[in-house]
Amino acid sequence: MAYQLYRNTTLGNSLQESLDELIQTQQITPQLALQVLLQFDKAINMALANRVRNRVNFRGSLNTYRFCDNVWTFVLNDVEFREVTDLVKVDKVKIVACDGKSESTQNKNDKW
Amino acid sequence: MLTNTAPVAKLYLSIIDDVIESMRELFTDEGLEDRVLDDLRQIWESKMMQSKAMEDYRKSNINSSNFVLQLPANYNRTNQELTASVVIPNNSGILPTFSLPAGLSYPVQIPAGVTLQTASGQLYKVNVPVVVTQAPAGQPPVSRLAQVIERRESPDPPSTAAPPDASRPPQEAEALSAPAISDKQQQQQQQQQQQPPPPHPKTNFPPGEESALPQQPLVPPAEASQPPGAHFPQPEAPPGESEPNPPPEPATLCASASPCSQLLDFQISTEEALTQTGQLRTNDLDDILKEVIEEERGKAVMARKTVNQSDADLGVIKKLISLLLEVCVCVCTLISLVLQHVLITLVLTTHLYPQDPLNSGDDVVEQDIPDLFDTDNVIVCQYDKIHRSKNRWKFHLKDGVICYGGRDYVFSKAVGEAEW
Repeated sequence: MAYQLYRNTTLGNSLQESLDELIQTQQITPQLALQVLLQFDKAINMALANRVRNRVNFRGSLNTYRFCDNVWTFVLNDVEFREVTDLVKVDKVKIVACDGKSESTQNKNDKW
Repeated sequence: MLTNTAPVAKLYLSIIDDVIESMRELFTDEGLEDRVLDDLRQIWESKMMQSKAMEDYRKSNINSSNFVLQLPANYNRTNQELTASVVIPNNSGILPTFSLPAGLSYPVQIPAGVTLQTASGQLYKVNVPVVVTQAPAGQPPVSRLAQVIERRESPDPPSTAAPPDASRPPQEAEALSAPAISDKQQQQQQQQQQQPPPPHPKTNFPPGEESALPQQPLVPPAEASQPPGAHFPQPEAPPGESEPNPPPEPATLCASASPCSQLLDFQISTEEALTQTGQLRTNDLDDILKEVIEEERGKAVMARKTVNQSDADLGVIKKLISLLLEVCVCVCTLISLVLQHVLITLVLTTHLYPQDPLNSGDDVVEQDIPDLFDTDNVIVCQYDKIHRSKNRWKFHLKDGVICYGGRDYVFSKAVGEAEW
């Protein structure tokens, strides 16, 4: 089982909303919706690992850090993201990072 | 990163396809039709297209047609045949657009056998003759002006007018006459009261004078009772003397007289003594009465004096009490004024110079933790390494999705530094 933290992306949220609509119309069961989400987790993990090849650098000031259940949560202020030549400044950003080296694929709930 | 939106959209679409295709078998195992899975796909794609994450992808594809009209080689406009129009269902929510080859304009009659190709590369063959026309422009809504009717409430005519003036004077006259009559009656009563009362006979005399009147008639009879020719050794006591003379001794009077004469003399003497004693007694009574009267007069005077003194004392006391009351009232008013002044000053000071609550500066304001982590800009990723040296942190991240400003960005590697 892959990390479930990608469910809190635009893609993951839209999928959950769509599944909720089908559940309300009783077209699918909640168990089936859960299966869909699990399949989504696998698909997005595989896609990010295999289909994306870009590098980003960033610099800012660390406001808060937290480490719990092998999950890091950071809050940074005045962050500059740089990709090749592009520069984007963000006042506040939160980083939720799961252990990338862990081979365990336990369900990781969202930490936000 | 900003140029990464198109790959992100393609990545998302590929992920959608993978998920849908992987769930098709499971749906069939659950006994569900493919229509349900297609509905899920359509809803999912529509939500993604509506979000800002696919905005750039949507904008970049807005001019591209969904259908490319590919006409066969033997297509000739002159061979157009009238056919029924066909409405392409718009299930996906995407407005189908047609791009016409050069030289063609609306309406276009498509005979059977024409092949249509979508932007995604899918081919559709038209088996039925189709006429493609351009949709008429939407008419602007007609605005209607609402008519506002103002109702003005006219004031009611004075139906119930004031009572006529004619009724007033009589009433007033009656009102005026009534007090006049009462005034007259009061005047009469006052006159009656003012009339002096009928004189009453004075029966009450001052105690000193009362005793003097009957005293007078007593005196002359006492003087008249003295026999003529009787000589007494003692002079006649004038009335009013306080010291009555002792009764004379009858023995000295008749030393040489006969017994009869002595008896007569004795009798006369006794009579004279009796009269003298009577006179003396009357004189004594008069004196006593006089004394009593004088005493009573004195007592009355004393009583009057005492009464007057008591009256004066009461008046003084009353004056003192009134003065004390006035002083108390003044003191109370002074106290109330002082209190009012104090209250006014307090109110003014509190309003003009608002004071912070006590010990308000001692509190240390702490940031709310829930608000600290509450932000729309989120990076979801995995970490390879997190390093800290004193207050300098280094982040080595991978396989992340950045959500910033409603848009999504992806990265395979991210290296960052931050100072805490």
